[in-house]
Amino acid sequence: MRVEYINPFVEAAYNIIKEVLQTDVERKDLYLKKTTQPVMGVAALVGLAGDVEGRVLIDMSQETAMKIASTMNGEELTSMDELVKATITELANMITAQAVTKLFDLGFKFDLTPPSIITGENMSVSNADVEALIVPLEMPQGLVEINVAIRERM
Amino acid sequence: MKTTSDFPSINERTPDGQNNGGAAFKVLVVDDSMFVTKQIGQILSSEGFEVVGTAADGLEGVEKYKELYPNVDLVTMDITMPRMDGVSALEKIIEFDKDAKVVMISALGKQDLVKKALLIGAKNYIVKPLDRKKVLERVVSVLK
Amino acid sequence: MKHASLKEAKELKDQTRIDFKMVTFTLAGKDYGIDIMKVKEISKASKFTFVPNAAPFVRGVYNLRGDIISVIDMRIFFNLPAEETESNTENMIILRLDSHIIAVIVDSIDKVVGISSENIQPPHPLFGDINIKYISGVVENDGRLYVILDVERILGDEDQVESRASETVPQALSGPASSQIMESTVAGTTSAVREDVDIGFIEETLITFLSFYSSPVNHEWIRNRFNSWKKQRGEDVQLASEQDAEAYLAPFASPFSGTYWNSDYAMKVASFLPSDHVGNYYVWNPGCKSGYESYSLACLIKKKMPDVHLRIIAHDNDLIRISTAPGLVVNQTSPGDLYDDYLVEGNRGKQFKKEIKDSILFEYHDITHDNTLPKLDLVVMRDTVSYIAPEKQQLIFNTLEEVLKPGGVLLLGTHEQPVNPGAWEKIENSGVVAYKKK
Repeated sequence: MRVEYINPFVEAAYNIIKEVLQTDVERKDLYLKKTTQPVMGVAALVGLAGDVEGRVLIDMSQETAMKIASTMNGEELTSMDELVKATITELANMITAQAVTKLFDLGFKFDLTPPSIITGENMSVSNADVEALIVPLEMPQGLVEINVAIRERM
Repeated sequence: MKTTSDFPSINERTPDGQNNGGAAFKVLVVDDSMFVTKQIGQILSSEGFEVVGTAADGLEGVEKYKELYPNVDLVTMDITMPRMDGVSALEKIIEFDKDAKVVMISALGKQDLVKKALLIGAKNYIVKPLDRKKVLERVVSVLK
Repeated sequence: MKHASLKEAKELKDQTRIDFKMVTFTLAGKDYGIDIMKVKEISKASKFTFVPNAAPFVRGVYNLRGDIISVIDMRIFFNLPAEETESNTENMIILRLDSHIIAVIVDSIDKVVGISSENIQPPHPLFGDINIKYISGVVENDGRLYVILDVERILGDEDQVESRASETVPQALSGPASSQIMESTVAGTTSAVREDVDIGFIEETLITFLSFYSSPVNHEWIRNRFNSWKKQRGEDVQLASEQDAEAYLAPFASPFSGTYWNSDYAMKVASFLPSDHVGNYYVWNPGCKSGYESYSLACLIKKKMPDVHLRIIAHDNDLIRISTAPGLVVNQTSPGDLYDDYLVEGNRGKQFKKEIKDSILFEYHDITHDNTLPKLDLVVMRDTVSYIAPEKQQLIFNTLEEVLKPGGVLLLGTHEQPVNPGAWEKIENSGVVAYKKK
C-alpha cells in the first residue's frame, strides 16, 4: 500500500474510536496480511474508488461488536440485531470518511461507496488475494482491526 | 410583599426545541443509518424538538417533505445514501420550497460536496461523529 | 500469524543464545541428534569388513585413514526396523568419544541444528523407542522434536563394544587379500565433509541472527567468504554471536547500500539501459528500504532518458524505513553532480524536484505476497532476495520471468546470482554485473 495512505487511516481509526467510545485505545503494531479476508466474525466494509480501487474493513468479534454498539447507543445490546449492525456500519463509515478527508488534504481524491456489513459464516469478501494493511486497536471492548486493501491504478 | 411570581425564573429556560410560543420545532430526519437516525432523534427530542418523520434515502426524504409540508421546520440530511443522495434530495426540496431549512450531515469534511450543498441552499453542515452540543448549536443557529 | 514487533523479536533472539549444536539424523522415521562436539565427521561408506562372532549390531570395521574403527548399526543396536535402501552406501557418523573413535550407521543424516541448551527437556520414560538411559534429553526446533542421544553412554564403554569386534580383527586383516577387503568406497573426502559441516553451521547462524538465507543465489559468495573467514579466525570458525554474524556478512553488501550512488557507479548501471527508449519506462525496486536507491535510479534514468515517462515502483516490508522515503531530504553536502540538476532548496534542506518525486511510488508491501506489476523494463533488487526464505526465492524469480520484458535488465546484489541462470544473459561494465532477460 502506498506509504502516504498509511497515516491517514491509522489516525482516523484512532481518532474516531477514541471519540465515540470515550475510552483508552491502544495502538498495536501495523502489519501486512497476504489477503484481505476478515477473521473475527463481524466485518463492516466501505469501498474506495477514484485513482485507486480498494476497500476498508473493520474486523471484530461478535462480542466486541455488541459491546461497542452498546457503548455508542448508551444502552446494553445483547444480540447481533439491526441496531448493532447499523452502529458498526456507521463506525466503519466514519473511519473511512475521516481517512478520505485527510487524504484529500494530501492531494489524493478518493470516493466512498455505501458501506455493508457481513457477519458469521459467509465471511468471504472477495476472490482475489489482495494484500491488506492491518491496523490493530485494542480497547476495553476487545480488539478491532482496521483492514485496508488499496491497489493503485498503474 | 414579593412572591415567587415577582422574580424571574432563573433556573428555567426554554428548551432549544421549542419556539417562543412553547411549541416544539418539527424535524424530518433523513439518513440511511438506523443508528444515526436514532442518535439524532434522541439528541433532538431530549431538547424538546419533535421528530415528525424519518426517511432512509433521498427519494423517500423528498416525498416525506412534500407530505409533511408546511409542518416541517427543519430537515437533517445525510449526504451518502442509496437511491438518491443527500445533495440531489436537497436540490429537489429547495425546488419545492425555497425557504426549506436543511442541515447536511456527513462523515466527509471539506469536500466539494459540502460547498455544492451550501451553494444549492443548505443552511449548515455537521461532520460526524455527532455530539450533542455540536448538533444542537448548529440546528438552533439555523432555526433562529 | 501476528508478527512480533522488531524490538520483541530482537529481545527474543538475544535471550535464546545458541550454545548447543547437534548433527541431526533419522532412525526408523524419528529425529535424533548428537552433540556436534562428539562428531568427528560424516561419511558415506559401502564396504565394511564383516567381522564374525561379533555382536549383531556390529556391522564390521572400517579403515579410517589407517585407524581401524568399529562400525555400529544404530538401528540394530536399538532394535529398530532398518530402512530399506536401494543404494549400497550407508550414512555414517564418525564419533570422537572420550576413549575411542567409532562409527555409527543411521538411516539418513539431516543437518546441523543450533539450539539453546535451556530448551532441552529431560526425557520422559514413556517417550520414544529406545531405552531412556541412552537419552540426554529432548528438544524441539522448527516444528520437529529431536531426541538427543548420550553417545558416551551408548558406546563409550570400549571394552563392551569394541573388544568383540577387535579381537577378531587380526584374523580378518592377515593376508594380502584382506587389504583389498579393507578398501571401501567413500563418497566424500573428510576435509570437505568437515568443511560442509562448518559452513552448514554458519549458514544456520546467519539465518538465526540476520535472516540471511544461503541459497543458489549467494552460495558461491558464502563458500569463498568461508575461506577468508577461516584464515582470519583459524580453527574457531563458528559464529558465536550476532556480532560475529555481522562481521561475517559485512563484505556481502552491495556498494552504496543505504546511501546515494556515486556518479561513477550510476554511470556504469546506466550503461546497461537503452538510450533510445520511448514512452513509459517501468522499474521495480523491491527492498528499497529508506529510498536512497530509488532516488539514485530516478536521477540516473532521467539523465539518460529525459523524455521517457518514468515510473519506479519501490517496495519494502520495513514500515519504519519506507515511511521516510517519500519525504527524503538530502543533507549531505553533495551526493554527486548527477543529482545537482534534480534538487531544489527547501526549508528543511535540499529536496528532490517534483518530476523525480512523482516518478517514484513507495509502497509498504511484502513481495512474497501477490505482486501486481505492469510489464517491466528494469528490476533493481540488490541484496533483497538473499533475505527471503529459499522456497520463496523461486517465486520471486518466477514473477520476474513473467513481468520482465525480453531484453529487460535485472540488477541483483554484487554477490548475488539468479537461481535460473539459463534465462539470463550476463552483462558487465568494469566490475558491475547485471542480467538481461533472454
